[in-house]
Amino acid sequence: MFFIRIVRHLWFHLALVFLLSIICTALSWASPDARAFLKESEQRHRTRTQQYAGELTVVNKDGKVRKKGWKSFREGYAGDARNLIRFVDPPEVKGVGFLSLAKPGGQNPDQWLYLPSMKRERRIAAQDRDSSFVGTDFSYEDMEEFDHEKYKVALQGEQTFESFPCYVIEAVPLEKKGKSVYGKLILYLRKDNLYLLREDLYRKGEKEPGKRMILSDLQQIGGHWVARKMEMTDLKKGSKTTVLLKEIVFDKPQPVSRFTLQNLNREGGE
Amino acid sequence: MIRNGSQLYILLLFLLLPLPVLAGEISGYVEAKGFAYAERWSGRDSRGLGWGTLFTKWEEKLGETQLSASLRGEGITSGENGALDFDPADRKLRRSPVSVRDLWLRIPLNTTHDLQLGRFQLGWGKTDGYSPADAFLPRDLTDPFADEKLPLWALRLNGYGGTLRYEVVAAPVTTPWRLPPLGSRNAPLKVDALPAGTVFNEVESSPPGIGFAAVRLLSSFGDWELGGWGRAGVRPAPLLNFRVDQMTATSAGFSLPVERRYAMEEAAGIELSRIIGSWIVRGEGAALFSRDRDLGNALIGAVSVEKSFGDGTFLVTLAGNAISPPVDSAQLFDRAILPVIITAWNRTEEWGEWKLVWSAGLKHGDGMFKGEAGYNLSDTWKLTLGGELPYGSEEGAIGALQTARRVSVALRRSW
Repeated sequence: MFFIRIVRHLWFHLALVFLLSIICTALSWASPDARAFLKESEQRHRTRTQQYAGELTVVNKDGKVRKKGWKSFREGYAGDARNLIRFVDPPEVKGVGFLSLAKPGGQNPDQWLYLPSMKRERRIAAQDRDSSFVGTDFSYEDMEEFDHEKYKVALQGEQTFESFPCYVIEAVPLEKKGKSVYGKLILYLRKDNLYLLREDLYRKGEKEPGKRMILSDLQQIGGHWVARKMEMTDLKKGSKTTVLLKEIVFDKPQPVSRFTLQNLNREGGE
Repeated sequence: MIRNGSQLYILLLFLLLPLPVLAGEISGYVEAKGFAYAERWSGRDSRGLGWGTLFTKWEEKLGETQLSASLRGEGITSGENGALDFDPADRKLRRSPVSVRDLWLRIPLNTTHDLQLGRFQLGWGKTDGYSPADAFLPRDLTDPFADEKLPLWALRLNGYGGTLRYEVVAAPVTTPWRLPPLGSRNAPLKVDALPAGTVFNEVESSPPGIGFAAVRLLSSFGDWELGGWGRAGVRPAPLLNFRVDQMTATSAGFSLPVERRYAMEEAAGIELSRIIGSWIVRGEGAALFSRDRDLGNALIGAVSVEKSFGDGTFLVTLAGNAISPPVDSAQLFDRAILPVIITAWNRTEEWGEWKLVWSAGLKHGDGMFKGEAGYNLSDTWKLTLGGELPYGSEEGAIGALQTARRVSVALRRSW
């Protein structure tokens, strides 16, 4: 009898735990947390390093096409990312370098541009970050890795984009330690793999998005999802910059000096 | 006329031979430029000028070592064009139609230290428009409005540790400033008590064999960037020696020999920049010491503020020398325009870019408006229109160039 009482007691507790976990799961699905999705997304897609060769096509509103090429190197991810971009084409921008070093605590990253004609680097002020990045539709702020911790986020709902069910998340810059060009971002996160497919960028005080970034041609490379095509459209100017990512390599150890001003100033260097 | 022709050909062969052997990157451009001047300075100067340039650069990576070599060929339809000459350090009075612009190796000693040696260009200082750290480096004033910097034969060791960066440069050979023909519209020298029509006879001098050595330290602290530097050696800008005692009378007038000499100078400076709100503020200070009677000491300061507006940048630079030089500052070249305020506005457009610059000399009330617009015909073709309008007192170094007012058009094909 005593044994039966213990078994019943155990069953009762197990059933209670099971019931509670069902309730918790149901509750979490009933009110999904945008922050949790973004955290999960970062966790899934975080890589130690990434490098690729980018082929850029800039098309202005009149349809005039200009091509550029760069090599991009990244170490870290989101809030701890360090980026180096070196233009390889066309001749007028060849050798131009861009270095971005994330800073802790939600501060804007330190950014520098190296111009071969001047043989020295130039610092970029936070307020310059709305300027066009070397004649593309990306601004200096757009060149930063998205770090959800710098935003107040809220789930707005679900939508299908390019036939993929997506979570739609609103992200408003907290601006605790650094100003943003944008008043808010609307992110479209693919439900099945939590990969960012679309980003609508609203400048401050504007009700319509000023820019739209679309990531497509998702492939798995080295066990990581990556969009091989990035399109940034300036909806006001009517121009579009497309970046095709080639020679993508993940988690390759980067030289110690890659993300330094010393290296940025190396003429002909990477 | 080819002088030292065999050496020139050996040099060209040296530059061209590696091409088929190593698969380096080749880039370059060909450019045709035309100038129309508002007036003639003298019977020798025409109202139009043509300038053709062919530039090619070869870059090769040998493991972690970087090798760069570039060659420039050009033709100018005026007296600025020198003879085809072997002049590897740009030490001759006039520029040779063929010249080496780069020829250097950069060897990483380890992950944080590099050694660069050969012929290359330096870019120093923080302030734009005028930088005391950068101003002494040799310029080619053949086109007085172009601000063309000359490369140096030098050895450079640079590296970093933590937030501190350093740079040590030793230039064993002096590359002197190159001046336009003295007495031309690009260098209208005014020397008191000379009879009208005096022609300057420039004497080809041999600049000193030694150059200079310099050390530069830089560091970043949050929004601050701080730096300090020191240098000693030969100042590359010449001091002109008018040999009135050797002036001769000719059938066309008087001929005055002008010699050049080069002073020793020591200098130390500081540089800093800081982001303040939406502005970047940069400042430099330099103390220059010379025992030369015609050069004297100098205490030069420069402050610049820069702000971006969308794809445009607005820049104001104020620079001055607290010590009056013993001779007309126009003859000191690297500090000729001081004190000056330079205002520049440039902007990138979908079609290309433009810039406007206003330089105002604060001592003589002279100045210059400069404008340039570049239109990208394609990724490789570019059309540039420009103009320079010096004005004001001809006592000032900028106002003295009034007869060189001009407009220009350039067509460039890059690869």
